Amino acid sequence: MKKVSMFLLVLVMVFPAFSGGQSDAESDGPVTVDVWFHSGKGEEREVLNTQIEEFNSIQDEVFVKATMLPEGSYNEQVSAAALAGDLPDLLDFDGPNVYNYAWSGHLIPMDGYISADMKSDLLPSILAQGEYDKKIYALGTFDSGLAIWANKAYLEKAGVRIPTAVDDRWSFEEFKDALVKLQALPEVEYAIDFKMNYGQGEWYSYGFSPIVQAFGGDLIDRNGYKTSQGIINGPEAVAAMEWFQSLFQEGYAIAEPAGDDDFYAKKITALSFVGHWMWQPHNSGLGEDLVLLPMPVMGKKAVTGMGSWCWGLTSQSKNPEAAWKFLEYIMQPSQTLFMSNGNGAVPARLSALKRSSLFGAGGSLEVFTQQLSTGVAVPRPITPAYPVITELFAEAVQNIVNGADVQSELDKTAAAIDQDLADNQGYPVK
Amino acid sequence: MKNPVGLGQLRKKEERSAWLFSMPALILLFVFLILPFILALGFSFTDQRLIPNLNLPTRFIGLRNYIRLAADSNFHIALRNNFLFVIIVVPLQTSLALCLAMLINRKIQFVNVYRTVFFSPVVTTMVVVAIVWSFLYHPDSGFINKMLNFLSFGKISGISWLNDTFWALPAIIILSIWQGVGFQMIIYLAGLQDIPLELYESSMMDGAGPWKNFVHITLPQLKNTTIFVAVSTTILAFKLFTQVWVLTKGGPQNATITSIVYLYKQGFKQLKVGYAASIAIVFFIIVLLISLIQRHFLKEERSVD
Repeated sequence: MKKVSMFLLVLVMVFPAFSGGQSDAESDGPVTVDVWFHSGKGEEREVLNTQIEEFNSIQDEVFVKATMLPEGSYNEQVSAAALAGDLPDLLDFDGPNVYNYAWSGHLIPMDGYISADMKSDLLPSILAQGEYDKKIYALGTFDSGLAIWANKAYLEKAGVRIPTAVDDRWSFEEFKDALVKLQALPEVEYAIDFKMNYGQGEWYSYGFSPIVQAFGGDLIDRNGYKTSQGIINGPEAVAAMEWFQSLFQEGYAIAEPAGDDDFYAKKITALSFVGHWMWQPHNSGLGEDLVLLPMPVMGKKAVTGMGSWCWGLTSQSKNPEAAWKFLEYIMQPSQTLFMSNGNGAVPARLSALKRSSLFGAGGSLEVFTQQLSTGVAVPRPITPAYPVITELFAEAVQNIVNGADVQSELDKTAAAIDQDLADNQGYPVK
Repeated sequence: MKNPVGLGQLRKKEERSAWLFSMPALILLFVFLILPFILALGFSFTDQRLIPNLNLPTRFIGLRNYIRLAADSNFHIALRNNFLFVIIVVPLQTSLALCLAMLINRKIQFVNVYRTVFFSPVVTTMVVVAIVWSFLYHPDSGFINKMLNFLSFGKISGISWLNDTFWALPAIIILSIWQGVGFQMIIYLAGLQDIPLELYESSMMDGAGPWKNFVHITLPQLKNTTIFVAVSTTILAFKLFTQVWVLTKGGPQNATITSIVYLYKQGFKQLKVGYAASIAIVFFIIVLLISLIQRHFLKEERSVD
């Protein structure tokens, strides 16, 4: 008897979780919905926190219990939770990583929840990226924009034409010529900054796979997503990455920036190849001198990236309807506009886009809207293999920038991606 | 022998409380060490995914992971880097620790300040250390390149410490030694203070100088300490992960990849838990073998008189 009770005491001491128990028992009060999200940029986080507070105060049916997780290891934490069967009701995913969860059966389709009104008002790119296996599994409250920001004073001094709209973009020759002219300016140490300080990660795939696609290559054969051989290591992709590598080797691009502000504070770079999220610092740093250039032609055509963080409803949720209510709330036009004004991203609703002073007609960031609506922006591969593809491609980019042989580096990437496809039996659906 | 039954009972009771007292440690060891190891062993024969697919169950794939591992050049490079790191770091760090310990084992002013300064990197989180060193290593604005440039009258400049296939591993080694040496230093300091002063006094009477004192008294007296320091540094060195992950992610071109970094990449980045588990098992066996060999060749002297 005594032994047993002592043993229990030890157990209780060692595992406080055992004695804590589940406290959120079902009662008449509001339904509690667990929500996870990444702690991103300050403004984005503040807007979301405000939205959660407001949602919790204006109605008493659903209570959102939000948990913020550090962005650096967000994907790892979520996948570990999936393995442990411990996912919340609603959470956000870093772009295309969502397809693996959809394929694995951890998410439920939202088609039944999305009203016809909402669907017709969504940015087409939001729908395109939320869809996997003909069902909608993810919704972003905003989309992203990627182009080249420029210091107008330097462009004028170097005598480079300043394009203002998508159909006015630089040709490949013009772009290369601009790099040479800008590099020659005494104030400019590097003509272009590719934000290599973000480090090996999703940025490399988001930012630089459009260059591969512009040259006519891709990360994987999008027809069935069955192989990368001859695509990611095909002649087009190799040409793209060799050109990219040459920018670093010939001194046009900076491989190891000392900080984040070479473009907008130190002003030692003339161009900055980066997304919408740098709008605030760029605007306050350069003011009147800031221009957003449409993505130029590289190789054969102009291609840019799209997609950002997006929300998914998990199959572990006991109250998907309640979780949807919150998602529906933050998907409202006014709320997407609220977020857009905070983080500078493209709002997910067309009606919000029209009202946006940044993205609407004549707005400073209208180029992003044009790129999304004219097919310049391409979604990242819509396949459950994406987490592996992006990891391998990012590693290849890092090695290539540091001088590795492009062909052999991409051959390795192609072999590893195809190995992963084989290991997962080609990611069969059902 | 009046009451043998009572004595037996007493012993039994003692045994019971011994078990009881070791229970918390045993439970923790079982839950966080033995159980995961058994699970890893099981996973290593499957194609377990990190995000399990509810429609595509995990399959038993026999020895496929191990066969693939034997031919995996990335893993071979990781092991080579591990060994290179250990072979360079263990002797260097051990001798540096002994030097530092002897320097601060004297009656000099502010000796406690020196001890604190040498020990402070040990109590600093590795992530913080690595981030600070990433600034020091920066090719243009980093302190190390600026200093080299100054000392060489401008001849050395712009070494890309962390992005050069030749310099990346040495860079990791230097910062690892700097961070870890204080710990071994403290152990050596304790060892040094255990050496009876009479030994030095009598050798001085016999006319021995400082070098003879060091070789014939200090080193032999520190044998057990040295063994402990060498074995523990070896095991710690094999676990190399944090500084690599923060600074280079194993790159450039696998120049700094280690077994643990590769395991993490396979398990958490490429979602192949089964394959990662087989790396863990092979790595465990290698480290276990090395520890056993070390123990065999470096027998501790249990009693010192």
